[in-house]
Amino acid sequence: MGAPRILRTTPFRLTLLFLASFAAAASAFLAYIYLATAGEVSRRADSNISREMASLDAVYRRGGFAALNQTIIERSTINPTLLYLLMDRTGAPISGSIAKSPIALDVSDRAWGSFVLTDTDADGASTRRSARGLEERLSGGERLFVGADISESEAYVVGIVRALWGAGALVLLLGLGGGLFVSRNVTKNISSLTHVIDSARGGDLRARADIRGTGDEYDELANGLNDMLDRLERSIGGLRHAGDAIAHDLRSPLTRLRARLESAMIDADAGRADPKQALHQALEDTDGVLRTFAAVLAIARLEAIGDAPDQTLFDPASLGADIAELYEPLCEEKQIDFKTELTPGLSVRANREFVAQALANLLDNAVKYTPSGGAIMLRARRRSSGDVEYSVTDTGPGVSEADRARVVERFVRLENSRNQPGAGLGLALVMAVATAHRGHLELDDGPGLPGENGPGLRAALVLPKGG
Amino acid sequence: MAKSLSELGHSCLTAEDGEVGLLKAREGQFDVMIIDRMMPRRDGVSMVECLRRDGDQTPVLFLSAMGEITHRVEGLNAGGDDYLVKPYALAELVARVEALSRRRETGSVQTLLRVGDLEMDLIGRSVRRAGKEIDLQPREFQLLEFLMRHADQSVTRTMLLEKVWEYHFDPQTNVIDVHISRLRSKIDKGFDRPMLQTVRGAGYRLEA
Repeated sequence: MGAPRILRTTPFRLTLLFLASFAAAASAFLAYIYLATAGEVSRRADSNISREMASLDAVYRRGGFAALNQTIIERSTINPTLLYLLMDRTGAPISGSIAKSPIALDVSDRAWGSFVLTDTDADGASTRRSARGLEERLSGGERLFVGADISESEAYVVGIVRALWGAGALVLLLGLGGGLFVSRNVTKNISSLTHVIDSARGGDLRARADIRGTGDEYDELANGLNDMLDRLERSIGGLRHAGDAIAHDLRSPLTRLRARLESAMIDADAGRADPKQALHQALEDTDGVLRTFAAVLAIARLEAIGDAPDQTLFDPASLGADIAELYEPLCEEKQIDFKTELTPGLSVRANREFVAQALANLLDNAVKYTPSGGAIMLRARRRSSGDVEYSVTDTGPGVSEADRARVVERFVRLENSRNQPGAGLGLALVMAVATAHRGHLELDDGPGLPGENGPGLRAALVLPKGG
Repeated sequence: MAKSLSELGHSCLTAEDGEVGLLKAREGQFDVMIIDRMMPRRDGVSMVECLRRDGDQTPVLFLSAMGEITHRVEGLNAGGDDYLVKPYALAELVARVEALSRRRETGSVQTLLRVGDLEMDLIGRSVRRAGKEIDLQPREFQLLEFLMRHADQSVTRTMLLEKVWEYHFDPQTNVIDVHISRLRSKIDKGFDRPMLQTVRGAGYRLEA
């Protein structure tokens, strides 16, 4: 492809296509104008010639050959636009303004013809002019020719046609220029996108297309591209972070496990201890590692898939009641007052399993951090915006405002929760579930009963209204 | 895996890929087939589809590293009976394999379950132990039904959450344990011999 880049762009090709069809139409138009005007010129000449011939016929009929001859000699001098020639029976010229008839009248008595007059002008140069003519055989056998010089009218037509051709050429030129301009414009707009795509293909996901703020289809495309890259960057970043986090978080329990096995082996070799106890402990540690691993994988998968799959319409109250039933005995055992407020008759479109898991995580947390004698409330209600909100409110220590953004990240555990079991993945998963449904997770203070050990926490999973 | 299962008294045959597996499955009589979803030459799903087309109804446990619900549904639609996501604990695998092989023996329609002196009437929705009526909540009834159908087998917490509550996730806290202890207080209280046993490192077992 040796052609310059701009000549290969789609807008330029479209311009060429348009110009080609325009040229074809213009040519047909010009041809029609030419034929119509040229025809009109010769028609007008013919009618002049016919009129003159009729008047000469009348002279001939009234006054005979002599009168006609006289008239022709007169008219040849006073009427230079018409050509006259009177001939005898053999065709030899008698009088008139030309020397020889351009029409050979053989069998018929009357014939039309188009011909070219060759003449010399005042400067002695030879000129060629087109003309029309009519020749008739008179009743006495003499022949009479009347013609007209149409070169001037024809030149006029030719002038018009030439002007039209010129205009056509100008339009083509302007069209070509316009095409190049539009192509260059489009290419410039596209090249910013191409550039972004190229760098993304090269592995750099930080490049973004320029938004010009015109709101046209390029902006739309650029917006779409930027959104896609944002999402891609986030999920790749998430995976990378998950990988780092897994490596980091699994390293300490694995190291602990290894140390325990090592010392158990030394003890067993020395006959000091029964290795069984160490094995049990090792098994428990391994289970913990596997649980952490599974939770991180679940979060990473959720973040990687974008929108949650298998979304169905269901009743939020019935799912809430199901989960409440699962957690109610646990609360009772810890002497926590567990209540639900589930608005009936709502419906939400979501992945039931994911939402169930998110609610389970919220309740897990609530039970974990609410002291005996506290209270937990599970609510499902519709917000005025139409979104469906599940909230879990507890009377535990709560989360300070400064920590709220941090606590939903993976493996983030607050100082006062270090002595609780868990890997710091619960809220991260709830967050991932919310994001996969284009919803969000809200954390704020609970009711904060006086005499309690903290303000409590209200965690709300908000699912957007849909279908 | 084969070694562990053999040590537990099961006789095992292994196949290194999907084609060999299909061949061996067609030749022999098995109680349970454990099939990995991703195998060389023929994947697990297509292998099970082939067997089901031939009319082979041997229970199948799928093993897979792919744990999303869609993958699970895919496996079960192809004719799998259970689905276990890697990594898993050996106890979990053994419990599920034993549950599957038991399912085959018990047949389909039963109206009365009996384990030792414990009786469950599936139509009247009532439970008695040694003739004494026990009042159970609906979920407790389902939990006990599952335990009775798998009497003398270990069942894991994950299995209970999956089969009784139909959730496919691991709760971080001991929710299942509390349900079990409630059930235990109802069926074992006042009797000399407790039936509902805790199996260390695995889960629970209902003993006759």
